Amino acid sequence: MGKRRQVVVLSSSSGEDDGGGRRGPRARRPRTPASAPAPVQVQAQAAGASRKKPRRESSVGRGRRRASKLAPSDSLKDEFDMLSEDFSECFNDFSMPGFIRKTKELWVDKYTPHSLAELAVHKKKIEDVKKWLEEKLKAPKTTVGGWTLVLTGQTGVGKSATVKAIADDLGADLCEWTTPVPTLWAEHVHANSGLRYISKLEEFETFVEKIRKYSMLCPTNTKSQRKLIIILIDDIPVTSGSGSFARLGKCLTGLVRSTQVPTVISLTHYHKSENNDTAMWKSEDLESLLQDAGAHKIAFNPVTTNSIKKILVRICKEESCNASEELLHQMATSSGGDIRHAIMSLQYYCLDPRRHSSALATSSNRTGSKSHDSLVPGHESYGPSSALPSPCGRDETLSLFHALGKFLHNKRETNSDVGTDLDPFPLKENLRRNSLKMDVPEKILSQAHGKVRTVADFLYENVIDFIDSEAVDDAWAVVSYLSDADCLLTASPIASYNSENIAQLIAASVAARGVLFGNAHGTPSRWHTIRSPKLWQIEQSFRSNKDHILKERFDCSRTCGFSNYSDLVTEFRPFERWIGPRNDGHRSSCLPHGVGGSPMGVADGNNSEEDDMIEDC
Amino acid sequence: MLWVDKYRPKTLDKVTVHDQVAQNLRKLVSEQDCPHLLFYGPSGSGKKTLILALIKQMFGAGAEKVKLENKTWKIDTGTRTLEIELAMLSSAHHVEMNPSDAGFQDRYVVQEVIKEMAKNRPIDAKGKRAFKVLVLNEVDKLSREAQHSLRRTMEKYSSSCRLILCCNSSSKVTEAVRSRCLNVRVNAPSEDQIVQVLEFIGKKENLRLPAGFAARIAAQSNRNLRRAILFFETCKVQQYPFTSNQAAPPLDWEQYVSEIATDILTEQSPKRLFAVRQKFYELLVNCIPPESILKKLLAELLRKLDADLKHEICHWAAHYEHKMRLGSKAIFHLEAFVAKFMSIYKEFLVATFG
Repeated sequence: MGKRRQVVVLSSSSGEDDGGGRRGPRARRPRTPASAPAPVQVQAQAAGASRKKPRRESSVGRGRRRASKLAPSDSLKDEFDMLSEDFSECFNDFSMPGFIRKTKELWVDKYTPHSLAELAVHKKKIEDVKKWLEEKLKAPKTTVGGWTLVLTGQTGVGKSATVKAIADDLGADLCEWTTPVPTLWAEHVHANSGLRYISKLEEFETFVEKIRKYSMLCPTNTKSQRKLIIILIDDIPVTSGSGSFARLGKCLTGLVRSTQVPTVISLTHYHKSENNDTAMWKSEDLESLLQDAGAHKIAFNPVTTNSIKKILVRICKEESCNASEELLHQMATSSGGDIRHAIMSLQYYCLDPRRHSSALATSSNRTGSKSHDSLVPGHESYGPSSALPSPCGRDETLSLFHALGKFLHNKRETNSDVGTDLDPFPLKENLRRNSLKMDVPEKILSQAHGKVRTVADFLYENVIDFIDSEAVDDAWAVVSYLSDADCLLTASPIASYNSENIAQLIAASVAARGVLFGNAHGTPSRWHTIRSPKLWQIEQSFRSNKDHILKERFDCSRTCGFSNYSDLVTEFRPFERWIGPRNDGHRSSCLPHGVGGSPMGVADGNNSEEDDMIEDC
Repeated sequence: MLWVDKYRPKTLDKVTVHDQVAQNLRKLVSEQDCPHLLFYGPSGSGKKTLILALIKQMFGAGAEKVKLENKTWKIDTGTRTLEIELAMLSSAHHVEMNPSDAGFQDRYVVQEVIKEMAKNRPIDAKGKRAFKVLVLNEVDKLSREAQHSLRRTMEKYSSSCRLILCCNSSSKVTEAVRSRCLNVRVNAPSEDQIVQVLEFIGKKENLRLPAGFAARIAAQSNRNLRRAILFFETCKVQQYPFTSNQAAPPLDWEQYVSEIATDILTEQSPKRLFAVRQKFYELLVNCIPPESILKKLLAELLRKLDADLKHEICHWAAHYEHKMRLGSKAIFHLEAFVAKFMSIYKEFLVATFG
């Protein structure tokens, strides 16, 4: 009886299975393998098996199904079920190792400092920050203002790490803004997937708004266990344009003024040469803005080479990798005070030290040979400043002004007889130049990574000062090269603004080398001010004047319709002033216009470095 | 109203300076079909006057009722939509515009305007002259791309609109466009013709001209009729009755350029070059076209130059004028010319006077 019963159950269960199976595969197909085991489990339960691990259950189910295969109408469907099940099983097997394999932790995370002693930052700075935080955490909540600390410094000097370590030390909770995944504007436009576009700035504003409200509510906690909270703002949205910057500034100053929880804002100072980007140099503006609003500022210096080295040695010991003392030293120096970078490079190095040291050797060889067979006649010896290229250091960068100074000062070797006899193609006397006391100009340009147009404008503005007061020929040579460079720049398509464009590179090369070559009789070295190009100011006012004139042109000559723009400027306007104020006489006089002004040029804060003095070193 | 506008001949019959051209044009229009036209000639020679008179001849007084509109063109380029604002004068029969004002987006404007004109084609009751006239100024300033697109649209829509192009130098208009048009050269008027016009105006204004006065203005105007009339009016405003040796003051920018020329000739040094640069800036900021500056500067320099050097200096001026067109920062090239001149002139001085 029982046996027969079981058979009945089996058949009925297979019938049930049909019902489920009809839905099953169809529903399963689009699903991810993770959801696949669920129906399997249902089937297995129907077969009367107890709850077990899914994989085994599925094999049981399969076995059962093999048994019921005799039923002719079901066979195809069963086969399909089987296949899809196999597939999901395979998939699970396949993805299994991924879960099992232990990812090696990044050393930067592994060796994050947890105590104050582990920090590589200077003791005094830590003390300063700690003192400030302690003071604020103890202070009564009612005081208004002065709750904000601004930490500034280069990237990787341990600003956030210091705050975190101190918070741990004091037993305070650290609240951070978890940045949401940003929606890119381009995505929003093209994907039309119904994503709502929220700018980072808006998100940040709402966040700041929230913490301002939250800080009001905070003191309602029971007095006895007042939670210590520090807010860390590490991720300030990038702004472009003065409008959005003003918004950001307003939002932050509002925060600084009203917050009643110790708030730490960390601002990263970018390296001088990288701040060609307008979004970057605002950090200094922001800093002064915050300070005006009453924030306390502590500036972090780059981590010293010695402390970086100490950390590196400690990590080496713990990881038991044998990096040579010399290499560690090199890493420490080349990191430029960026400890995160130094640890990264150490880990990279330790991946395979053998291969790496050979790379070091070849790369230095290559650069050595390159200086010999470069296009430039004579030897372009590397200056003492450029160290041996390190395999894991940061690329050396130059500020734009440094590079310009190099070109303009045009330092050359004094001994002229080097290799002139050996040269198979002797140059004419007037074309010969002594070899340069600097890197290849192209290398300097690439290190300075400024826009080519900017470089050319700056060179044009300043080069005349550096030309000997008698040498008009030199002036001509220089200016004509710059004029060539301008033609090359214009010829390159407008659409590509990246400086990697070949025409742009050539133009930059022509400009820089032209300046170096043309200035044959260098002036004795002295102090010079690098002016920002007056041309920019001129172009700006030219455009506004032109717009003005174009708007006005219809009252000039009604009947003749459009007059040529050049006719208008060169003929109608000057005459009009003589013939009399027919309209209202408010037309500004033509010449001399107030172009003049200080020799310093633009003063509208567009370029904060216009006053940079270049020392003749 | 300026005399320039007041005494502008309104119809082809009244044109005095280029009467031959005007008569030919009238014959052309009377035969009902008008080809595309390209007027070229130096500035102040009467191109625009001829064009306006021609349009009036074609459409009658209706063409004189023009209105100014600042139209915004929305142009779909595929990836994004451009908005270009451009002023245009239009009547029921013609549209006049200056496409080169749109800068490097001029090619869109040219195509779009012509397409739109083709769309709303005017319907004449008599079934005649069912086309509009599009007057494009400063065609030589159009970019190469724009000229190419012009060429294509000219053919495609030739049934519905006629183009009248106007430019100073036909050499800057592509061959393809030139060959699709009837080219009309408008010469600069001779000094005698200018004198005649001035005397005509003097008679109308009831002025008494001393002997040789008109001739002097004509000589000063450099065969530019518009400039001559403007000079004439200036003299009238400044002093009337005219004295026998009265002369019109030179144009301020031209005077400024001649000051620059004097500067260059007195001292040749990088320092002076720098001073000259500031003066160039001043001219440029007042929107004086760099080409005009270079041309005037060359003329001023040549006046005071030894004959041996003239050829070389002209060569370099031409060289840098060409560069100026290729490049985008005119000041670079202007200064290069000045530097070159200084270099040559200094060498010459040293060779001559030791």
